[in-house]
Amino acid sequence: MPASVEGRAPAGIGSCPVTLEVRIFGAASLRLGSDRLRVEVAERPTAAEVLAAISLQHPALRLADSGARLAVNCDFVAPETFVAPHDEVALIAFVSGG
Amino acid sequence: MSVLVQIIDGPIGAEAERSVLARSTAMTDDRTGAIVRFEGIVRRIETDMTEARERALTALDYETYDPMALLQLERLARETATAHGVISIVVLHSRGRVRVGERSFVLVVASPHRKEALAAMHAFIDRLKVEVPIWKRPVWAS
Repeated sequence: MPASVEGRAPAGIGSCPVTLEVRIFGAASLRLGSDRLRVEVAERPTAAEVLAAISLQHPALRLADSGARLAVNCDFVAPETFVAPHDEVALIAFVSGG
Repeated sequence: MSVLVQIIDGPIGAEAERSVLARSTAMTDDRTGAIVRFEGIVRRIETDMTEARERALTALDYETYDPMALLQLERLARETATAHGVISIVVLHSRGRVRVGERSFVLVVASPHRKEALAAMHAFIDRLKVEVPIWKRPVWAS
């Protein structure tokens, strides 16, 4: 199957859902009672898709309009960045340093 | 331009600050004409967002995502120093428990003149509060 212009199979055609583990902190960690969450996403998702999936599958986090961002391998990434299975993914939300 | 960043377990003591500042060019750079220092301390009264009322604290527990927190602090300091043309930025931030009245954050900015130092300080703190993966959790008095 030819890859899409984004470099992966078109959504829903030959792509298997995968489970991604995401590190969480602060209020997010308190709300879920864990320092990690698991989220089901399409194979090779973008950061925006991972964030959307987290918001949908973990409504207790109340991420809407929170300004939450995704960090991959200890760096913030653009929404269109692809996330690989071996990446360390972290949800950065509700930060409160200083 | 010099940037020094350190995350310290517990409150920021005078000795820890002296030790980091001793490595800074703030006092030794001939262009330095202004040094602005900010310290954040844990206040006794805080708003409990879950109960929408003010309550007394005994401490704050700071959680950092390592090593990203340190990397972000360094990046932020460099970007701020470049944007405002300052000579030196020193940042110390706590990790773990900091009791009421103790220091959890120290920022020292050196520049040729006060305006850029003050502007850099405000800019740095504003961005810190949204871009650096550090969280604080209140430890209520009762």
